[in-house]
Amino acid sequence: MRLRTRKLLDRSFSGLGFLSIGFMAASLLVILAPIFGRGMGAAVFQGTIEHRRLMMEKFHRGDRDMIEAELDQVRAARAPVYDMIAAFKEEPQRLSFGDRIQRRKSMREVEDLVVELLGPLPGKKRPILIRDQYGETRWDQAKVKLGRLLYIEEYDYSDRAQMGRKILVPREQKFRGTSLQPLFAYVEENMEQMFLPRTTFYWRFLFDRSLDAHFFGGIGPEVLGTLYLTIMAMIFAIPMGIIAAIYLVEYAGDSSGIQLLRTCISSLAGVPSIVFGLFGLAFFLNTLSISESKSVLAGSLTLALLVLPTVIRASEEAIRAVPHTYREAALSLGAGKWWTVVTVILPAALPGILTSIVISMGRAAGETAPIIFTAAVSVGQPLKFWETISQPTPALSWNIYNLATEHEAVDEIRHIQYGMVLTLVLLVLLLNITAIVLRARISKKLRG
Amino acid sequence: MNWKLLSIIGLSFVLIGSAVADERIAIDGSTTVGPIAKAFSEYYMEQNPGVNITVSESGSGNGAKSLINGTCDIADMSRFMKDKEFNAAVEAGVFPVAHVVAMDGIAVLVHPSNPISGLSVEQVRDIYLGTVTNWKELGGPNKKIIAISRDTNSGTYETFAKLVMNKQKMAASVEYVGSNGGARQRVQTTPAAIGYVGLGFIDHTVKPLKINGIEPTMLTVSSGTYPISRPLFMFTNGYPELGGHLHALVTLHLSPNGQEIIEAIGFVPVTSY
Amino acid sequence: MRLLEQEDRAGIWSRTSGGRKASLLLSKSAGRHKRRASIIGHGFLLTITSLSAVAILFIFYFIFRDALPFFQLRGLTEFFSSSRWYPSGEPSEFGALAIFAGSGLVTLGAVMVSVPLGIAASICLSDVLPFHLRQMAKPVIEILAAIPSVAYGFFALVVLAPMLQEQGGQILSIVVYVVGLPLLFLGATVLGDLFSQRLAGTHRGLIRISTTALLVGLGLLALALLGRRLTGLEISSGTNALNVSLILGIMALPTVVSVSEDALQAVGRELREGSYALGATRAETMMKVVLPAASSGILAAVILGVMRAIGETMVVWMASGNAAQIPHPWYNYLEPIRTLTATIAGDMGEADHVTGSARYHVLFAMAACLLLISFFSNLASETVRRRAMRKTQGT
Repeated sequence: MRLRTRKLLDRSFSGLGFLSIGFMAASLLVILAPIFGRGMGAAVFQGTIEHRRLMMEKFHRGDRDMIEAELDQVRAARAPVYDMIAAFKEEPQRLSFGDRIQRRKSMREVEDLVVELLGPLPGKKRPILIRDQYGETRWDQAKVKLGRLLYIEEYDYSDRAQMGRKILVPREQKFRGTSLQPLFAYVEENMEQMFLPRTTFYWRFLFDRSLDAHFFGGIGPEVLGTLYLTIMAMIFAIPMGIIAAIYLVEYAGDSSGIQLLRTCISSLAGVPSIVFGLFGLAFFLNTLSISESKSVLAGSLTLALLVLPTVIRASEEAIRAVPHTYREAALSLGAGKWWTVVTVILPAALPGILTSIVISMGRAAGETAPIIFTAAVSVGQPLKFWETISQPTPALSWNIYNLATEHEAVDEIRHIQYGMVLTLVLLVLLLNITAIVLRARISKKLRG
Repeated sequence: MNWKLLSIIGLSFVLIGSAVADERIAIDGSTTVGPIAKAFSEYYMEQNPGVNITVSESGSGNGAKSLINGTCDIADMSRFMKDKEFNAAVEAGVFPVAHVVAMDGIAVLVHPSNPISGLSVEQVRDIYLGTVTNWKELGGPNKKIIAISRDTNSGTYETFAKLVMNKQKMAASVEYVGSNGGARQRVQTTPAAIGYVGLGFIDHTVKPLKINGIEPTMLTVSSGTYPISRPLFMFTNGYPELGGHLHALVTLHLSPNGQEIIEAIGFVPVTSY
Repeated sequence: MRLLEQEDRAGIWSRTSGGRKASLLLSKSAGRHKRRASIIGHGFLLTITSLSAVAILFIFYFIFRDALPFFQLRGLTEFFSSSRWYPSGEPSEFGALAIFAGSGLVTLGAVMVSVPLGIAASICLSDVLPFHLRQMAKPVIEILAAIPSVAYGFFALVVLAPMLQEQGGQILSIVVYVVGLPLLFLGATVLGDLFSQRLAGTHRGLIRISTTALLVGLGLLALALLGRRLTGLEISSGTNALNVSLILGIMALPTVVSVSEDALQAVGRELREGSYALGATRAETMMKVVLPAASSGILAAVILGVMRAIGETMVVWMASGNAAQIPHPWYNYLEPIRTLTATIAGDMGEADHVTGSARYHVLFAMAACLLLISFFSNLASETVRRRAMRKTQGT
C-alpha cells in the first residue's frame, strides 16, 4: 500500500475515534436538551391569573389583596364573553328543527371550549374536580386552547386513497351574523387582559403535593419517596458492602471458597434489574412478608441488593488503593489488624468509598424495575419516616413511567412529566458530579 | 460502630412503626377504573385529612390478586371476578363484594385523518385477527393497519376479547400498550393506527368510530345501544363496616358529588341507566 | 507472618476489652480469649460477606422455585419452539419464541451500535486523545452511564418515536449518507490502491486513479438509490426495534468503552513501541498489534454490553411496541417487537399467583432464562478477563 493511503487510513482511524466520542457527547446533548429545556418549563413558565388563584385557594400563597384586584380586572375583561354567550342563547330563532339541533350542538362546543379555557361559567355550581374549577393556568396551553376555540379542525376526506388532510376552519363562520360572531375576535384580542400572564417561578413544584392526579401542583410525594427509597437502600447496602469489602481485601485469602464468594458477588452484579424486582416480590413480600403490601422497606431492601455489588467492588478498590506503607506503619506501632483497618485504612479509603456510595445512590434513585412490584404506587400521600416500613410510596422513576403511559391526560401534563424527568436526572447528575469532584480531589491528594 | 447504630435505628423503626394507627386504604387494580379511584381518593382525602389512600393501577387481574392476598382494601376491576379468582378468594378467607361504580363503553379509535368513520363489530374483529391488514380493504386509504391493543392484564382487553373478538386470538402483529392513556396516545401519533380505550379517555385528538352505526357516547352507553359496554367494579372484602371510611369511599359513587366526578371524568354514572 | 498474626489477635483483644489499655504480656487465659475473639470477629465478617453472596443463591432459588411449575405444567417444547403468545386466551398458549427473538434482536441492534463505536471511542481515549481532553471526555461517558433508564425510556417514547414516525425516512437516509460517503471514498481509495499494487509498469498511477474513480462512481450510484428508497420509506410505528436498539446501544456504550479501555491500557507500552519502531502507523499498530493482544478484554467488554442491553426493562417496555411477533423478514428493525423483560414487567399484573396458574409461573420461567443468560455471560466475561490478565502479566 502506498504511504499516502496508509496515512489516510491512519487519519480516518483517529477520526473514527473522535467521531464516536463526538457521537456520545452529541447523544448526551440530544437526550438532555429536551429534558432540560422542557423540564424547566414545569417550574418556570408564564403563569396566568388562574395559576395564582389556584395557589391562593389551595396552598394559601400569594398576596390576597393583589390577587383579588387582579381577579376583578380579569372578570371585567371576561364579562363581555359571557354576555355574548347569554345574548346568543336569548336570540330569537326562526330555524327548522334540524338546524336548531345543529346550532345547539355548535353552541355547546363553544361553551365547553370557553369553560375549558376560562374556567366554569359564572353563576354555575362549583365543579368538584379541581381540573374543572380553574381555567388554563399556563399561558402556553391557554394559547393552544385559544387555537381550538378559534378554529375547527376538520379533515378533507375527498381523496379516499389518502389519509385525510387537516384543514382549519375559522369557527366564526358558523356563527356569522349572530351575536356570537364578535366573541372570537374579542377573545383573541383580549387574551392578555383575561389571563394576565406573568413569568412565574414555581420552585415549590419540587415540594408541593399533586392536585387532582397531577393536573396541578407539584411532585413532593414522589421526590420524598425517591429519597426514602434511596437513603434506606443505602442504609442497608453501605455497612454490608464495606464490611464485605474489608473482609475480601484484608482477611480473605485466595482459597477456592473465597473465589466462589467473589464469583457469586460478581454474578449478583449481572442480574437484570427486573429479576431483582421479581425476587423482591417473591422473597421479601410473599415469603418473609415484611409488610402487608408493597412498602418502602421491601423496595429499599431490593434496591440494596441491587447496588450491593457496586458498593463492594468500589470499596474494595478504594481499600486496595491505600498504600501499603500505611498498613506497615500502623502494624509496627503495635496496632492489631482490626485496629489498623478501623483507624488507619478505612479513613484513608473513605473518599474512595464515598465516591462509590454516591454513584450507587444515583443508581438506586433511578432504578424503576425493582420497585414496580415492591414499593411503587401511582398516588399516595407523602409518608412520615416511620410509615416507610409498612407503606408504599410514589417515586419519581415509577411515576415518570406511570404519567407518561397510563395517565388519562398524557398530553396536558407533559410539563409535569418533563419536570419529573428533569428532577430525577438532576438528582442523579448531582450525585455523580459529587463523585467526580470527590475523585478528582482524591487523585490530587494521592499525587501529592 | 456502624451496626450498633444500625440496630438502634432498626429497633426504633419497629417500635415507632407498631405504634402507628393512621387510617390507610390501599386501592389496586384496573387502569380504566384508575381515574375514578384517583379522583375519589383525592376528593375523599381532602374531606378527611387523617386518611391516607394509595392508588396503584396495575391491571384488573392484579387488583383481584391483591384483594385475595389482603394487600389492598379495594380492588378496582373493569370486569367481573373470574370463577377461579373467586374460588381462590374464598379459600383464602376473603369474600369479595362487588360495587358497580360506573358504566363504561369501549370506544374504538382511529386517527382523525382517517376517512373511515364507522365499522361493524365483525370488521373490527377482522382487523385484530389479522385477516384485514390494510385500510384499503375497508374503503380507506392504502395504508397498513397498525392495530393497538391493551395489555392482556387489563379488564379492557378482556371485555374487548369477549365482546368483539368472541374470544378468538389476536394476530401476533398487534401492539400492546399498558394503559388507556398510552393506547390513545399511540393512535393520536400514528395516522394508520386503530386502538380501543374506555369512554373516559376520548378527547379531541382522536376519532372514535361508530360501531354498527352507533356512536360511543354517555347516552348510547347508558341506554345500552352501544354494543361494547360494560360495568366497572370496585371489590371489597366483605361488605365494609357501615360508617367507616372504606364504606364511605365505595359508596361515594351513589352520592351526587360522586356522580358528578364520574361524569366529569367521562364515565357513565350507574343511576343514569 | 506469624508475628503479624499474633499482633492481629492482640489487636482484636485490645478492642474487645473496651478501650482498656491492652497488656502486651500474654497470659494463658488472655491468649484463649484473644483466639476466641479473633475467631468470632473473623466469623462475623465472613457471615456478612457471605450474606451478600448468598443473595444470588436466594435469587436463583426463588426464581427457579416459581419457574419449575411452569415446565411441569406445560413442558419445554411449546415455550421454546412456538411463537404463539396468548397467555390469556382460551386455551392459553405460552410460546415465547417470538419474545426470545425480540430480546435477541434488540440486543443485536444494541451491539451493532455500541460495539464499533465503543471500541473506537476506547482506542481514542487510551491512545489518541491528549490527557486534558481525556479528562473532559470521561465525565461525558460517566453521565451517559448515570442517566436513569426510565429517562432514556421517556426520551425514546416521547421524543424519538414521534420523530421516527414523522421524519424516519429522511433521518435514515441522512444517516446512510453521513456514514456511507466517507466510507465509500475511503474504501475506494484503499481498493484502488490494493488493485494497482500488483501491477507493475508505468500505467500504475493511471489505473489506480481510474479504478478509484470507477468504484466511487458505482458506490455513489448505489448510495443515491438506497438514499432515495429510504427517503420514501414510511415508518408506520415509531415504537419499534430500531428505536429501542439505538437507545440500548447508547446505554451500553459507557460499559463497553470503559471495560475495553481498561483492556487496551493493560497492553504494555513495549508492544506499541515495538510496532512503531517497525514503522507501523498508529492505526496499524492498534489494529494488528494492540487489539489482538487486548482481544479477550474487549470480548469481555462486549459481553458486558450485551448483558446491559438484554437486561434492560424500562426502555423496551415503553418504546418497543410490545408486539409478540418475529418481524418479517427477521431483520426488519422497523417492526414492533416484545422482549423478555418487558413481558415480565407488563404481564405481572395478571399473574394471579394465588391460583398458581401457568400464567404466573411463565413469567418466572422467563426470569429464570434471563438469570441463566446473565449468569453464564458473567462467568464467561470473568473467565475471559482473567485469562486476559494472565496473558498480559505473562508477557
